[in-house]
This record gives sequence, C-alpha cells and structure tokens, in this order.
Amino acid sequence: MLYIKLAWRNIFRNKRRTIIAGLAIGMGLAALIFTDAFIIGEERNMIYSATSTFAGEAQIFRVGYRETQESELTINNYKSIVENLQSEPIVDKFTSRVSVFGTVSAPANMAGVQIFGIEPETEREMSILDEAIIEGEYFADDNMRNILIGKKLAEILEVGLGDRIVLTVSQAESGDLIQELFKVSGIFDFGERAMNSAAAFIRIEKARDMLAIGETAHIISIKFINPELSKNNRLPFWDKYSKNGNKAVSWTELFPQLVSIFEFAFVAKLFISIILMGVVVFVILNTLFMSLYERMFEFGILRAIGTRPLGVAKLILLEAGALSVISIVFGSVIVLIVNLILMKVGVDITGTEMVGVAIREKIYPVLRVSQFTINPLGVLLFTVIVGIYPALYAAKLNPAKAIRKSL
Amino acid sequence: MDEQIGKEVIVTENLKKTYHDNGIPVYAVRGVDLTITRGEFTAIMGPSGSGKTTLLNLISGLDTPTEGKVWLNSKLVSEMTGNELSDFRRDNIGFIFQAYNLIPVLTVEENVEYIMLLQGVPPEERHKRVLKILEEVGLVEMIDRKPPQLSGGQQQRVAVARAMVAKPAIILADEPTANLDSETSGELLDMMRKLNESTGMTFLFSSHDPIVIQRARRVITLTDGKISNDKIKR
Repeated sequence: MLYIKLAWRNIFRNKRRTIIAGLAIGMGLAALIFTDAFIIGEERNMIYSATSTFAGEAQIFRVGYRETQESELTINNYKSIVENLQSEPIVDKFTSRVSVFGTVSAPANMAGVQIFGIEPETEREMSILDEAIIEGEYFADDNMRNILIGKKLAEILEVGLGDRIVLTVSQAESGDLIQELFKVSGIFDFGERAMNSAAAFIRIEKARDMLAIGETAHIISIKFINPELSKNNRLPFWDKYSKNGNKAVSWTELFPQLVSIFEFAFVAKLFISIILMGVVVFVILNTLFMSLYERMFEFGILRAIGTRPLGVAKLILLEAGALSVISIVFGSVIVLIVNLILMKVGVDITGTEMVGVAIREKIYPVLRVSQFTINPLGVLLFTVIVGIYPALYAAKLNPAKAIRKSL
Repeated sequence: MDEQIGKEVIVTENLKKTYHDNGIPVYAVRGVDLTITRGEFTAIMGPSGSGKTTLLNLISGLDTPTEGKVWLNSKLVSEMTGNELSDFRRDNIGFIFQAYNLIPVLTVEENVEYIMLLQGVPPEERHKRVLKILEEVGLVEMIDRKPPQLSGGQQQRVAVARAMVAKPAIILADEPTANLDSETSGELLDMMRKLNESTGMTFLFSSHDPIVIQRARRVITLTDGKISNDKIKR
C-alpha cells in the first residue's frame, strides 16, 4: 500500500511529463481500439453489402454448378428443399433463381450477359434489386416479357425504357438456341460494375420456360434469422442441405476474397499493435529513466534507510503501472468520444468498390466491451514488463553512489 | 577482534577504500581503526576530500571497503550483502543527510513512519511512536505537511525524527547542517544532543561545521583518509 501511494504521488510530481507520456501511450491505445472498432464496422458493412445486394448469406445449388454454370445443373429435389426451407427455424427468407449465360441484342449493339430468372416477390425481400431501379419499375405487372437491365448495359446496347431487346440462350438438355423478345421495363444501378454491365433479370417462369428445365432452379439464396449463423462452419444446416448432389454454402465460400481481406485487416491490426508497443517501450523507458535520474538521491536515501532492492524495483514497476493507468484513461476517453461521434455520423465511403463488393452504406465503428478490457490490459501488462528494465536498474543502484551523484 | 566487542557500537579494523577515477586510484580511506561506544556524541571532522563521508558510508554498509572490516552492534557489516544488509540498516542505523533528506511526496508522518512500515510495525503503534518523536523534535503540529512546505531546519528535524523513531543502535549524520544557517544549525545540534542525553542513543557526525564540532563530546580528525587526531572533551 505504501509503495502504491508513493508511486501514484511520484507520477504526478512532474505533471507535464506525465500528461505528455500518458497522451502518447493513450493515443496509441486509442488508435488500436479505433482500428478494431472500424474494422468490425467495415467487416459488417462489407458482409452486409455483399450478402444483401444479391448473393444472400447462404446459397444452395447443384454440385459443380458454381464452377461450370451449366444450365442443366439444376437443384435436385427442388420442391422438397423449398418445403424444408419454409419450415427451417433459422431461415428468415429465401428466394429461387435460374441463371444462365446468353446474349442480348439490340438494333445498335449486342453483349454477353448473365440472365437471372427471379421470383419478384421473394427477390424483393432478399436483394436490393427493387431499390436499385433508377428508371422504370420493378416488375410492376405480370408481363412475362419485361426485363430489367443494368445502367451500363443500357448504354452499351444504346437502349432505354420501353425499347425491345432479344435474349438468346441455349436450352439445358438439347443445347438448342432459343430467342425471345423482351421489353426494357426497368434500368438498375447496383453500384457494381459487373452487375451494371452484364446482368439482366426476367421472371423465373419465363427463364424456366426458355431453358426447358421444368419447375426447378439453379440457386436458392437464403437469409438467416441471425447473420452470425452464416459464419458458423459447424452449423448442421450445411450438412442437411448438402445432400443428393446439392451443396449448401455460406457467403464465406461465395466470397473468399472477403475472408482474405478480413484476414488482411487482422494483420493490419497486429501491425498497429506492434507500433503501439514500440511507442510504449520508448515512452515508458524515457519517462521512467528521466524520473529515475532526477530522483537518484531519493532512491539512494530509500536504499540507505533500509528499503530492499526489490522494494525499489517494485516502486518503479508501480510507477510504470500508474502511468499506464493514466494512459488507459486518456486513450479510452479519446477513443470513446471519437467513436461515439462516428457511430452517429458514420464514415462515408459509399460508392467505392472493394474486392468486387460495392460499399452501399456508411461505415459505423462497432464498440465492444473487449476493446476496453483486453487492449488496456495488454497495455498495462506490456508497460509493466517494459518497466522491469528501469526497475532492475534502480534496484541495482549503489546507495552511496546514488547519493553522491545527486549532490 | 570478536572478544573486544562489548559496549562498542562501531568497530573498524584497518578500513580502506580506494576509488578509481578515470583509472587513477584515489585513496579515500587509508587504514582507519576506530571504536565508537554506546551513547557517544562524536564528530568526524576534516577538510573536503578527507574521507569523512566515505568512512560513514563504509560504516553503514552503503559502500563496501576495499580492505578491512566493520562491526556494527557486534555484526560484521562489511561482509553483509543484499537484503541482509538492507534489513540490518533498517533496524540498526538511522541516517541524516545534508538536505533533500525526505521523500517530498510523503507527509511528515509518512516520512517518519516509513522505516516502521518496512519493519511491519502495526499502524496504531506506528502512529503512537510518530507522535511521540515529533513531539520531541517539536513538529507535531506539522504532521500532515509535506517537506516542501517546511523550512530547512524543520526538514532536518523531521529527518532526525525519522532516524530515531525505529530506535536504532546508532544515528549517522553526514553534514547535517550543511544547508542550514548557524542559528538553525545550533538549535538542531542542541536538540540532537538533548535526545542523545535522554535516550542514550549513539550519534556519529561527519562535518566541518564549527557548530557541530563545538557540541560534539568527541572529535575525530580525518586527514587524507587517516585519523590524525582523536580528542575526547572533558
């Protein structure tokens, strides 16, 4: 208790130095917590952007379909899977899609596109297609010849609302080419280059009819009641629907590039931690040694009147700990204020595209209790570890020399 | 030598200390044989560089001799190391230095009780003893003040209180009046002499201050690291 009192009072003997040192370490801690909070927010944002734009949090498809995109590889036992999904407690929403590569031609131009046959009502729940319409309407009537195309594709084809375009696809089993005439009923802007320039949406019934695949689909896109479930590799859901030649996968498999970027973010966080630790090392060593040299006589007196070497070392370590506590308070307050502001206003990098995912919403840092417990504890522990060197130096001081040096 | 130790508090035998300053040997203490008995009020005098402080440091175990032995309270101090030496100093020696003697962030009470805290004396006993000694040095009303709020003379009185509170075998005072005016020095010395008489505690000073020399009952003169004169006043 005596040493704690002594250390705490000593640290405030040179207030300016303590405040500067505390701010330096505190800013480092704040940077670490902020980076963590921002990365979590960015991850959530990117996952949300990736899954809510179109893909969903999970998908079911026939084994081999994703690699080959062959139109005959439709989902086996489609109807029973749909029935099961309807009663699946962890599934919030799902929609079926038919997808095939084809060409679209207009009087001025033609282009290769991925044609999606969709169920307009369930698709509205699953993706942002209806919100992405910038001209026209989202399947406003039952007209089977309506088609939605991307902004960029409309420019390539030089078509606008109400113009007619021809889709050409090859049928699933026979491979026969089939052409159908459609009317551009809507133009969308997903914010993603690939979707805007090479995707078109028609009703699923029409797509099934053109491909002659019967009442089935190529993809079932799923949203869970809790997005975190999609990250759980051990969820029984994956095995349950990965049967009879079908495969159920999470977005982590659909977007491996996202997983990579999150891993990269983790490494970045690690580097910031290392930089912070570097700052801590220099600030603590500098502060403690300055304080030690200033008070050399005092340490000599303490040793002379019977303080054991370990007692002096303990005092220095406690001073390091006290400085760390001050730094933690500074850092936590700074980062809390910054984060609370940013949690309200957000960081606006909407419109930018990262690893094929368009950021559609502002990024809001996410605060967690662990950021204010584990990180500060790490700083405290590290500070005390760094303090061992000056502590040992002080413990080894020859009292007579220490007293003589200061006189 | 062991047989010689009875009421002697300090015995030194052929005590030598040689420093090396940039490789050049400096003979600070050159074979000192000294005996201080219980209850003495003794001053070691000599000009600057005569080895007074070094001798005190060797006696207290703050420094190690190059040659020779030191017994303090019948214990061979010169061969003690580490915690044993720290604990011995804590329990047997009271120190008073020139100035900046006290821990500035601790109050008068905390400074005085520091050694008793190290000794593990219970809080009530500590408080009682602090009050008693502060009363004796006339500073009981300053108990909650911190050293920077005290005058130089008051600070030295607190240092005397701290040195005496744990009832050590000897008080070693290295130039205790160096930073005090003559009036304050006289008062401090008178107070210490009174305490010496009332408690029987041994005081050993190093000083070239005439005020100290005047009040000491025995004056040892150190010249070039050797005792050149040892005079007991009658």
